[in-house]
Amino acid sequence: MIDSLHRIWSLVVKELLQLSRDKLLLGFVILGPLFELALMGGMVGGGINNLPTAVIDMDRTSSSRALTARLERTDELLVRHYDGGVDGARAQMQRGELAAIVVIPPGYGAALVDAGRGAVVQVIVDDSNYVVAAVATSTSMDVASDVVRDLTAHYGYVNRAGIDMRFIARFNADLDDRPRSITAMLGLIIFQVTLVIAAQSFTRERELGTLEQLRITPLGRVELIVGKAVPTLLIGLVDGLLMIGVVALWFEVPMRGSLPLLMLLTVPFILSQIGWGTLISLVSHTQQQSVLFVFALAMLEVACSGFIVPASDMPAVMRFVSNASSVQHYLVILRGVMLRGAALGVLWRPVLSLAAIGLGSMGVAWLRLRAGLDTDSVGQWLRAAFRLAAERRQQRRAARAGSRVENKRKQSPEWTGEPA
Amino acid sequence: MGVRRFLSILVKEYRHILREPRTLWMVFLSPAFVLLALSALFTSGSGRIDLAVWDHDRTTLSRRFTDVLGSDADFSVTYVMDYAEIDALLVAQRIDAAVVIPAGFADAVQRGGAAPVQVVLDGIDTSLAHQATGSLLAHAADFGFTLNQQLSSISQPLRIASQPAYLTDGDAARNSMIPGLIPIVFSLPAMAAALALARERETGSLESLVATPLRGFEYVMGKLVAYVTASLVGLLPVWLEARFLFDVPFHGSIPLLILLTIAFLMASLAQAVLIGSVVRSQQTATVIALFVFFVPGFFLAGLIDPIDMTDTFSTLLSSMLPITHFVIISRALFIKGAALADMWRPALALVGLSTAWVGLGVLSFKKRMG
Repeated sequence: MIDSLHRIWSLVVKELLQLSRDKLLLGFVILGPLFELALMGGMVGGGINNLPTAVIDMDRTSSSRALTARLERTDELLVRHYDGGVDGARAQMQRGELAAIVVIPPGYGAALVDAGRGAVVQVIVDDSNYVVAAVATSTSMDVASDVVRDLTAHYGYVNRAGIDMRFIARFNADLDDRPRSITAMLGLIIFQVTLVIAAQSFTRERELGTLEQLRITPLGRVELIVGKAVPTLLIGLVDGLLMIGVVALWFEVPMRGSLPLLMLLTVPFILSQIGWGTLISLVSHTQQQSVLFVFALAMLEVACSGFIVPASDMPAVMRFVSNASSVQHYLVILRGVMLRGAALGVLWRPVLSLAAIGLGSMGVAWLRLRAGLDTDSVGQWLRAAFRLAAERRQQRRAARAGSRVENKRKQSPEWTGEPA
Repeated sequence: MGVRRFLSILVKEYRHILREPRTLWMVFLSPAFVLLALSALFTSGSGRIDLAVWDHDRTTLSRRFTDVLGSDADFSVTYVMDYAEIDALLVAQRIDAAVVIPAGFADAVQRGGAAPVQVVLDGIDTSLAHQATGSLLAHAADFGFTLNQQLSSISQPLRIASQPAYLTDGDAARNSMIPGLIPIVFSLPAMAAALALARERETGSLESLVATPLRGFEYVMGKLVAYVTASLVGLLPVWLEARFLFDVPFHGSIPLLILLTIAFLMASLAQAVLIGSVVRSQQTATVIALFVFFVPGFFLAGLIDPIDMTDTFSTLLSSMLPITHFVIISRALFIKGAALADMWRPALALVGLSTAWVGLGVLSFKKRMG
């Protein structure tokens, strides 16, 4: 046990030495996340504002001007008067210069106060981005309901019996989108840094030919995986701590739970990345391949993290698949502890999921190492793994039989796993 | 430029790509595969809201209202008895909102007034909070309407007729997101190019290349052209997938799409080459490329939140990314059927960016080779 720790320790030292030699990499790994979070946190999450909108006022009455002024007052729309007609405005939309066109028809002012008729305002939205289209539509509908409310107050329609809903928001009284988007970024940045470092740990040695040298050292399979994992874990924790500091102090996102608990629960998150990374690293021949795997995995993680589409909006199949996404589970933990002040008791589900992902991927990585790196395709290394297991079983049986296999056991293929 | 030397680099790169089945797969097919996975997210889902209801009034009328909420397929309702329970459920992220009907609810309605009902929202996921607000308000209005059927209904004085400009049928969310995602999935081959360069330095084969009469420009162009043409082949499965599997309309011209995709690939691959030529190891190249291509691609390129033109700093930053311009172009071609005249600005930006990045790549490469 002591020997084993000693061997792991020397591998950790080697990894850290290698890392400290590449100053550019070290700088990017430690400061890159902070810089990116600070930059993007300031830019993203303010919601969708200032959509360029043309108002074509064909009525030119005080009511139509009042409607235009109301549209101008919204944050979402950036209103500009336009006299060139609907076709001209549509040509501008085609060029991507307009997100919405509001057409106030002639006779709008008169129709508004005529209880029998009612006015209709046409809003043409650029639906080449459906988010933009939805925001432009809902904003103009809000404005319309304000107009209607003022009208009813003015003309004294009776206030009928009904329900008066009063909303309060817990944890985030102003419904500010920033806490949600910044925590998502934090999770994704820790994810990408740790995954990349882990994913290249073995491939790099393999490509440079130094893995052969590691193979002739007394390092065992598990020791090798653990020794490679420790530096990544350290980097991930340092990055996480620094970024949580930036989020709490610079962006003033509240820290309602316990910081030690959050850091403790960050460990399984990083470990699951290390598991994925080690596995990728062991099935890739070149770093180029491992990076492409990382990139594909990263895109799926972003997609499942609920940043683009809320998890509840996903189709059932994707909801199921997204259970394998560690970012999603970590965001439940991060938002739970940081924003809602949750304790460990209510977070066991994501913690267990992370542990399962980490252990599962590391287990497969261990099998892969055991099968030997000379095997190429998945089928080959599975066969090799089974063959080794069968050999070992045979040896055990022979040993039980009390014959002279003591020597043979020592010769049993170590993790070099040369195909017999 | 020596054409023969350039060609020999080109052939060498093709061999690198072709001899490894995994690299081949990643360069040609991974964009189509990732697009397939990402687009599955944008089909309109059910959008269920987990709701807790605390009926403090316990009258027939309050019962009627909670039944209305319970029978809506959008809500999944749990009944609770006090605020402590609501709070515990909110902290555990088991509910998105809670409805509290106070005592005296039925009395207030019978008096013909507005009965207050409290809604406690989880404010963290703002889009869910907005969704919950919307559907609860709609239920309250419906309920009020059934209570007041004896009163004459007044016609709506102002109605907004919202009209989508381009997509009239089909899944609007998916149709608008797939053309936007195409630029992002094409950053995969760009990563491959960045690594191809860093690899040469790391494994030491760059030194043998320096000893040949090869010039920096020929070398960089050889790498670029190899990866641009290889990635371009990947456009075909992506286009077929978008067009026929997902039924995204395509109203633009195909030669124009190919031309502008080349411009985009040139720009982003030149960026990759620049990264590859200044770093010493592939690991560093990957970390930098992830920071340059990955997170900004999703968050800054206008894929979801459009770029706020009034914010000069973020506009400037976004316009440095080739992805930003190609998102505009791809959507314009697929959905709007735009001609080159409609999008000369992003097209010109792509050409400018690719020239600038290639130039920088060659310069930095020359310096390091000497």
